[in-house]
Amino acid sequence: MIRSFRCTLAAVVLIPAAALAQTKPTPAKTWTQPKTAWGDPDIQGVWPGTAMIGTPLERDKSLGTRAYLTEDEYAKRQDRAKNQSAIDSEETVSDLTRCDPKRGGLGNTATTCSNGVSIGPPLYWDDRGKPSKQASLVMDPPDGRIPALTPEAQKAAADRAAARRARPCAGTAGGCHDSWEDESLWDRCITRGTVGSIVPNTYNQGNQILQTPGLVVLRNEMIHETRVIPIDGRPHLPAGIRTWMGDSRGHWDGNTLVVETTNFRNGTVVGNTPASENLKLTERFARASADTLNYSVTIDDPKTWTKPWTISFPLKNEPNYVLYEYACHEGNYYMLNALKGARAEEEKKNGR
Amino acid sequence: MSTKVFLASAALGLLAAGLPAWAHHSFAAEFDINKPVKLQGTVTQMEWINPHSWIHIDVKEPDGKVVNWMVEGGSPNILLRRGFTKKSLEPGTVIVVDGYQAKSGDARANGANITFPDGKRLFLGGSNPNEQPQK
Repeated sequence: MIRSFRCTLAAVVLIPAAALAQTKPTPAKTWTQPKTAWGDPDIQGVWPGTAMIGTPLERDKSLGTRAYLTEDEYAKRQDRAKNQSAIDSEETVSDLTRCDPKRGGLGNTATTCSNGVSIGPPLYWDDRGKPSKQASLVMDPPDGRIPALTPEAQKAAADRAAARRARPCAGTAGGCHDSWEDESLWDRCITRGTVGSIVPNTYNQGNQILQTPGLVVLRNEMIHETRVIPIDGRPHLPAGIRTWMGDSRGHWDGNTLVVETTNFRNGTVVGNTPASENLKLTERFARASADTLNYSVTIDDPKTWTKPWTISFPLKNEPNYVLYEYACHEGNYYMLNALKGARAEEEKKNGR
Repeated sequence: MSTKVFLASAALGLLAAGLPAWAHHSFAAEFDINKPVKLQGTVTQMEWINPHSWIHIDVKEPDGKVVNWMVEGGSPNILLRRGFTKKSLEPGTVIVVDGYQAKSGDARANGANITFPDGKRLFLGGSNPNEQPQK
């Protein structure tokens, strides 16, 4: 399930010729880039990424370097979306249905769907997005796949997995919950990372952009992230100051806002992959029409990935979309349930 | 209103598995697949909070004792965009929850299926906002 993707020249700078060749030209319209009162390109508004939620992050290998689906492939994607919508609207949903990966249950892993019984949530919890012709969110490398981890990062991942397996709690349903530190940064309400905060996934994909002279403010609904981005040419913070979301600096390249982010602390994440403090992100925001803002982010971390890679997708203007308060930790009963649940399991095991 | 609670247990072997990239939180960590519950109760409160809403219901147990259960629901934004409003589930409404109890033994459950006593699905009426393909 996904939707069409229109590239402006500016958004396409980082996309290789192979992808460009397949890009559909934007239909000529009389739309002109509006300007703010002080003369900057105006990209303000509420721009949810919801529509792209169903577009796979990585491309199916069978599509090779084709960045866009054929009409036939697109028709199949639309059929699947229609089928999913019908399933999501069923009066009641059996465990069997919720455990069938082809029927799109949210959170259905081997642990939530053992022996055909699902303890995942109801299907209507999930946003499904809209069918698009874009084959994958990853648009560079040309095969739409995330590049291999470096040997160093592969070893670190293998070491983490081995350490996990060696723990007594490793065989417990639901995994290890000895401490809050066993939970992901997302579950701990710290962050989903600068990339994860905007790349469409599951739900709550609202984004809002505000501008003032010298600053652009980018607010992500998931999970209550706000970046206040100077665009006045000031240098990055000193190298010793490092944060989960990094330090962002922006500038205008024509009508495209280019934001470079560095100064990440070790262990911030891109998806679920820990990145190094060398991570550098380059984001581009280019308005293609009144209701489309093309977004791309290039992820460059030579310590973690063997080459840079780019995720690219359109954001759609939805003036009526509301970003509700995300007092995440206050409302995060998950943490309590998971930690208390693990203690109860331990007591049962110890015969108390 | 008639209310009943029953807990059934089933011996199921479970395997621990790593979460895929960008994964949602682990329901297997919160809820016990060996403790399926069917609850009928009266809504006392709905918490419209991120990342997940929680429905509170008073459930009368077989011995007559009333227990307030919390049932996990979808995020406020997706519920609203699917047509669910604060009027959809007002205090006093009777609902039936099929789900699994928290591993901690607390009176908390996920709601795999939530219906009204006549069998109608709770979140009916909201059209899927994402059905129309984008132009």
